Amino acid sequence: MKRYILINLLALSLSTPLWAEGQQIEGLELEVAPIHQDDMASIKRGATFFASTCNSCHTLTYLRYDKIAKDAGIVTNKQPISINGVTPPDLSLEASAKGVDWIYTYLQSFYKDKTTASGVNNLIFPGTAMPAVLAPYQGEQVLVEKPVYDLLHHVEWYDLIKPMKQGNMKPDEFDQTVTDLVNFLAYAAEPFHQEQQRIGYWVLGFLIVLFVLMFLLKKEYWKDVDKMRE
Amino acid sequence: MNEKEMSEKTGLMGWIDKRYPWTPFWEKHLSKYYAPRNFNFWYFFGSFSLLVFVMQILTGIWLVMEYVPTAEGSFASIQHIMREVRFGWLLRFMHTTGASAFFVVIYLHMYRGLIYGSYQKPRELVWLIGMVIYFCLLMEAFTGYVLPWGQMSYWGASVITSFASAIPYIGDLLLTWLRGGFSVTGVSLHRFFSLHVIAIPLLLAVLIFVHLVALHHVGSNNPDGIDIKKHKNKEGIPLDGIPFHPYYTVKDLVGVVVFLFIFCAIVFFSPQMGGFFLEPDNYVLANPMVTPPEISPAWYMTPFYAMLRAVPNKLMGVITMAAGIAIMFVLPWLDRSRVRSIRYKGTYSKIAITVFVISFIGLGYLGHEGVSTMRTLMARIFTVGYFGFFLLMPFYSSKEKTKSLPERVTG
Repeated sequence: MKRYILINLLALSLSTPLWAEGQQIEGLELEVAPIHQDDMASIKRGATFFASTCNSCHTLTYLRYDKIAKDAGIVTNKQPISINGVTPPDLSLEASAKGVDWIYTYLQSFYKDKTTASGVNNLIFPGTAMPAVLAPYQGEQVLVEKPVYDLLHHVEWYDLIKPMKQGNMKPDEFDQTVTDLVNFLAYAAEPFHQEQQRIGYWVLGFLIVLFVLMFLLKKEYWKDVDKMRE
Repeated sequence: MNEKEMSEKTGLMGWIDKRYPWTPFWEKHLSKYYAPRNFNFWYFFGSFSLLVFVMQILTGIWLVMEYVPTAEGSFASIQHIMREVRFGWLLRFMHTTGASAFFVVIYLHMYRGLIYGSYQKPRELVWLIGMVIYFCLLMEAFTGYVLPWGQMSYWGASVITSFASAIPYIGDLLLTWLRGGFSVTGVSLHRFFSLHVIAIPLLLAVLIFVHLVALHHVGSNNPDGIDIKKHKNKEGIPLDGIPFHPYYTVKDLVGVVVFLFIFCAIVFFSPQMGGFFLEPDNYVLANPMVTPPEISPAWYMTPFYAMLRAVPNKLMGVITMAAGIAIMFVLPWLDRSRVRSIRYKGTYSKIAITVFVISFIGLGYLGHEGVSTMRTLMARIFTVGYFGFFLLMPFYSSKEKTKSLPERVTG
């Protein structure tokens, strides 16, 4: 138990700077986005979904030479539009600025709220100007009356809201769609990620071999010094 | 090597040596520079610092080829480097990781000097020049941090330059002069770029050279803090000394490979280091209208930032922060101990250095966190601990009972 608390504290302390902004509900945990950054099929599905659903408002300026974005039909050089006086942000670097877990949880946690202009609100970004673009797929969600907190007063987004009506995707399908989209945004922020990892293993492997050689070289030279010590 | 010996050398090296003192230079600084044979783990960090410096210069050269130092073009040019320049991401991650790595190795290098008394007579100038290098490095890091022109760049620059305004009478004038305007703008960015790529690196290169010349003039200290020149053989070579090259060059190569392993693991697998090496807010373009919720400087400056915030008065805070750095300069004249190394110093010194380490790390942690009553109190206690270590040193270092020194180096 003690260990569990420590790990939780550690995770919390590491994740805080990534999503401090706009966080209102105390103890609300980000759901870890179940993405695999080397899953190209998922990234491409996400790109296609982005082109059809997100691209009408959001731009991806820095992907103007990107093949995956181009193949999916994403328009990168469009003028930004404005909704209720708010310009939807460019999403090229959103995954680095907010973190993939933040985006994943954000996209999942819209709920009905009559007090806002768009009729919906968001758990981790209260007062967001973004309408519930994904509601047709996800269905409608409302706040629960009595959320269940764990011992450390932590709570997940799905403990705070419940589905009212299913959308035209099954829950599993919807989760997969959001995962693909987040995976694509992670790719958008770091298109070099796979190359980086691939080279990284080779470099570390090379350094291990080099270490053995250097260690033996040092040992050979230092035989004289060891003699001197005696 | 005298004139006669030099003329005896034949071939290419003979030709060169008659015209340029290459061999004497090589011998003075490497093959006949006798270093104590008992260097331990802590003695790697000087070489590492030099390595990181060279890496920063090299990656910097290539980054400047594509970087645009204007408020309009800077942020996008970095994305151009990261995405469209072949291995641009590698160059940039090496440079950003290098910045933090530089401070890691420099802090450990300074700590080595601290525990083994490497600043004591006759090495006061080695320490002083090193401190000037450290100060330049802080300036270099700050100016470099502004260049990506993200939110943290902009607001960090605003906060740090605003320290100048705390100075009475000329403060506001000085602030405008530093920024090149009434607020941080593209003009500030452009001048920081100039300082970052030319002025400070040039100064650093000269200072590092001078640091090494000073060191090689007096000779290296060692973990025992005793003078190896007291016992020499017939040829005048210290009995406990070994030529730096090849013995320490091959030993340092082993260390370099280990260092590079850790360095590359970060570069390739976690260049953000959980927001410590690259902050999430800096992936958002600078916006003078939106203040980020938390503005904290990069981790290597947080101890001094915590000191600043621990003092309620702005001017006094800035003075405390400046004093925190300035007091390290006078360290050689604060230590009145008969011995150099912590190994032979007394209990007071050992307690003092423990208090110092806890205070410095504690301040570093607090400087990164937000402000609360408890944290401010802790920051004040640590600030007292930090200054106490230095200011009380003349007393505890001279009063305490020290252990007797060995004649020859141990280990």
